[in-house]
Amino acid sequence: MLTKDKLLELYRGMVTIRAFEEEVRKMHNAGLAPGLVHLYSGQEAVAVGTCTALNSDDYIASHHRGHGHCIAKGSELDRLFAEIIGRRSGYGMGRGGSMHIYDPATFNLGTNGIVGGSVPLATGAALLAKLRGTGQVAVSFFGDGVLNQGILFESLNMAALWSLPVVFICENNGYGEFTEIDDVTAGRPYAKRGEAFDIPSEKTDGMDVLAVHETVSKAVTRARNGDGPSFLIFDTYRYSGHHVGDKQEYKDDEERELWLSRDPIPKLSEMLVAEKKIKQAALDELDAEIKATVIVAANQAKKMPEPDADDLTRHIYAA
Amino acid sequence: MPPDSQQTDRNLTLKDAVLEAMFEEMESDQNVILIGEDVGTAGGVFKQTKGLFKTFGADRVIDTPISESAIFGLAVGAAMAGSRPIIEVMFGDFLTLVMDQLVNQAAKVHYMSAGGFNVPLVLRTGIGVGGNLGPQHSQSLHGWLAHIPGLKVVMPSSASDAKGLFKAAVRDNNPVIFMEDRMTYNLKEQVPEDEHVIPLGSAEVKREGADVSIYAVTRSVHTALAAAEHLQVKNVSAEVVDLRTLAPLDVETIVASVQKTGRALVLDGGYQSFGITSEIAATIGELAFDYLDAPVMRLAAPDVPVPFSPALETMTVPNAEQVVAKVTEMYGGLG
Amino acid sequence: MTDNLTPDQNSAILDRMLLIRRFEEMLIDLAGDHNFGHYHLYIGEEATGATVVESLTETDLLLTTWRNHGHLLARGGDPGRMVAEILGRVDGYNKGRGGTLHLTVRDVGFLSTSGLVGGAVGLAAGAGFALKQAGEDNICVVFFGDGAMEEGVVFEAMNLASLWSLPVLFVCENNNSGAISAQEGGFPSSEIAASRISDIPKSLNIKSELVDGADVVAVHAVIAEAVGGMRKGSGPAFIETYTERWPGSRPLWPTQATGVTQLAAAWDPSLITGVYADWIDEYDPLLRFIRNQLDTGLLSQDKLLERDAQICSQITKARAFGEASALPCPESALDGVFAA
Repeated sequence: MLTKDKLLELYRGMVTIRAFEEEVRKMHNAGLAPGLVHLYSGQEAVAVGTCTALNSDDYIASHHRGHGHCIAKGSELDRLFAEIIGRRSGYGMGRGGSMHIYDPATFNLGTNGIVGGSVPLATGAALLAKLRGTGQVAVSFFGDGVLNQGILFESLNMAALWSLPVVFICENNGYGEFTEIDDVTAGRPYAKRGEAFDIPSEKTDGMDVLAVHETVSKAVTRARNGDGPSFLIFDTYRYSGHHVGDKQEYKDDEERELWLSRDPIPKLSEMLVAEKKIKQAALDELDAEIKATVIVAANQAKKMPEPDADDLTRHIYAA
Repeated sequence: MPPDSQQTDRNLTLKDAVLEAMFEEMESDQNVILIGEDVGTAGGVFKQTKGLFKTFGADRVIDTPISESAIFGLAVGAAMAGSRPIIEVMFGDFLTLVMDQLVNQAAKVHYMSAGGFNVPLVLRTGIGVGGNLGPQHSQSLHGWLAHIPGLKVVMPSSASDAKGLFKAAVRDNNPVIFMEDRMTYNLKEQVPEDEHVIPLGSAEVKREGADVSIYAVTRSVHTALAAAEHLQVKNVSAEVVDLRTLAPLDVETIVASVQKTGRALVLDGGYQSFGITSEIAATIGELAFDYLDAPVMRLAAPDVPVPFSPALETMTVPNAEQVVAKVTEMYGGLG
Repeated sequence: MTDNLTPDQNSAILDRMLLIRRFEEMLIDLAGDHNFGHYHLYIGEEATGATVVESLTETDLLLTTWRNHGHLLARGGDPGRMVAEILGRVDGYNKGRGGTLHLTVRDVGFLSTSGLVGGAVGLAAGAGFALKQAGEDNICVVFFGDGAMEEGVVFEAMNLASLWSLPVLFVCENNNSGAISAQEGGFPSSEIAASRISDIPKSLNIKSELVDGADVVAVHAVIAEAVGGMRKGSGPAFIETYTERWPGSRPLWPTQATGVTQLAAAWDPSLITGVYADWIDEYDPLLRFIRNQLDTGLLSQDKLLERDAQICSQITKARAFGEASALPCPESALDGVFAA
């Protein structure tokens, strides 16, 4: 069982992400965040449950719905906001935006605009960790759409072949953009895609941060012990649709209600109050504190300057 | 020198020169690893990586499944994490399979992360027509890759250059595509034994001349040199500029040559339309217009898939006679 | 439920296997006289190709990989025109443009041979899609090797075939030499983590079977059942055939490792000699099938040798045809880039 402090860390992590994404939504609606943003609200338990099971020098690689991973892995909120709104002090000097956020200090190989694009990146980092014997582990986050990508299949094969310390995490939120994943994916259960390569594979409730943490911890231990990869599927849900502005007409109210009732944040807070003797008032205070911090970071980002013309051609090559 | 090499003199083939470079770089930098299909125990389908596995072992010379996309993506991830991989793609035609990881990931990471991550890797592949390998094993797609910001594209024409450029490629902190025309694999020349590194982005005049500049890479350089001999007989002094690196292009050397000669022919083994000849011709037109005595001409492979039959295949490789004919055209006829 | 082969079918299968064997042996000899680039031989795998076609109709479609001579001959490709193509001559099926790597015979339903590992599999899903749209009960067969199972596009194609219940028969001819290819200089190698290749299509809910690719009767039973179901709309099937790789195909370039096949070795073991005697004795699918047919009493040694002689003669003529065919005229290289 996790300590009270650890549980609060999980709570803080999820609340931070939820508050952050709300600010991103506002920024987008205010015209500050150009292009597309894909909010992680609803899926917080996966990012937080996973990253809290990792060491600071373990790698992650993420996808287009990646703000949550970046936050859970420890990126600075103001620099994240800045990148999303294209400011110079963002992680990519504004070049990348939401879908291309890289943070070497937190061993984050980046969010990614290509479905499945980051899966081999994590696999490669794991290969290097193994060759060097560093004991590092890599986590590859990807969506259910990647279940049908050839590059996942190739990466699973190699990870299994060479017993690489990589944990493949599929965040199954039921939809690939506007299409129900079950309609486009052959083969049930999805875990068999990993089992075909003799990779330990399992499906877990992705709305339960404790279940996520426990499952990932076991997989990470396996990897660190040299026992190779795992293939984990977490069933979860995205409350905000594919991107901000998605009217979500392809979902029905009944479904939405069901998943709202499974919100990972109240699920944890209820448990903390009922079983850990933490007062709701204390949690409310924490919520407010976090929200304030997030807003401060957002406001800071909004004041940051935009990149200038000279910044366009810098960093094409490394020196 | 590869430990089990039979060479006692420094007259090496291009293939062996690159192998020697690989040995040296892997010896001096533990981070350098080699990944590819059949590069390890088999020593490479053209024996181009022979001996490396024996010397460096399975931790540094890695045989992979046939999964080009993920192999290359994996190498990109490893590079981002601090490795310096050399990835062999068996045939340049298979670059189609690595394009996403190459173009959308490797080429852009440094830029997108504003210097946070870089991708120090070398993608090595063999290209070109010859051996009747057919349309899916004969292409020269360097134009495609030189087009992508963030990639470097290097193409040696001779053994000594190959060694020097390969070492530079491995030491470069960016994704470098190192392409050798298979028809140059067995060309021999004296290769320096010392620390021989040729900077990327530097072209070289392989033959000085006064009347016409012929620009080429890899095998086409030899075609140009052969044509230059024929042209000499007709009293035309041809200067042959070996571009060596396509991206970044050594514009200075390109321009200096045509400023001297006043005539330019760009020669290439890739498909002509929208290929490298177009880029160089346009560059000359923009920067050296006043020096030109004739329009800039191009000669490259016709815009057709490379057919297998020996009779047809030769049609797709520009030869010395055709170069002479083009230069003649430039002069409006030659005696 | 197995479909038993009729005597006529057995006879046809044997003829095909003989034709393939003698054609491939001729090619090794031809390679000594002509340079036609790299090529791949089907020796040791004849039982699969010769038998699969028994379950096909004239309007079914096929695709294959570069180990294709057996498939094309089994399906009715003219040996002479095949030799011409392999030599790059104008009378070749691809007018010399493709060579062995891209040899295909449209008239008997082949869409293509892929020079890239796994390249035909994606196309096969497409062919299956078109056939399903057309509404007849035709199927598409795609042959590929165990190496193709490492390519992502194969996985993607299988997922689609399964999802849309496409009439695609995936035939994976697993001739992986395993340990042998891991030796210094061994080529090629197969690296797949799945302990059983068929676990992969099974994870996509594709019916999968494993069968001894050197056993005509077993291959037919499995293929006939799969195809029968497919014609009734049951969706794709994956058949993995395994064979003990012919020693001549173990190095990078084919060698005549086991010598020109002496059919009498099927009843006279004293003829089985050499380093690879074990392979000839235990694994050669042609000899196995001959023994099987001789045992049924439907075939006599004399008849067999007579047919072999006829086939050898046919091969000789095919070689002559190919060699006599002219090289295409060079200017024709520029033709036909686009359809009209």
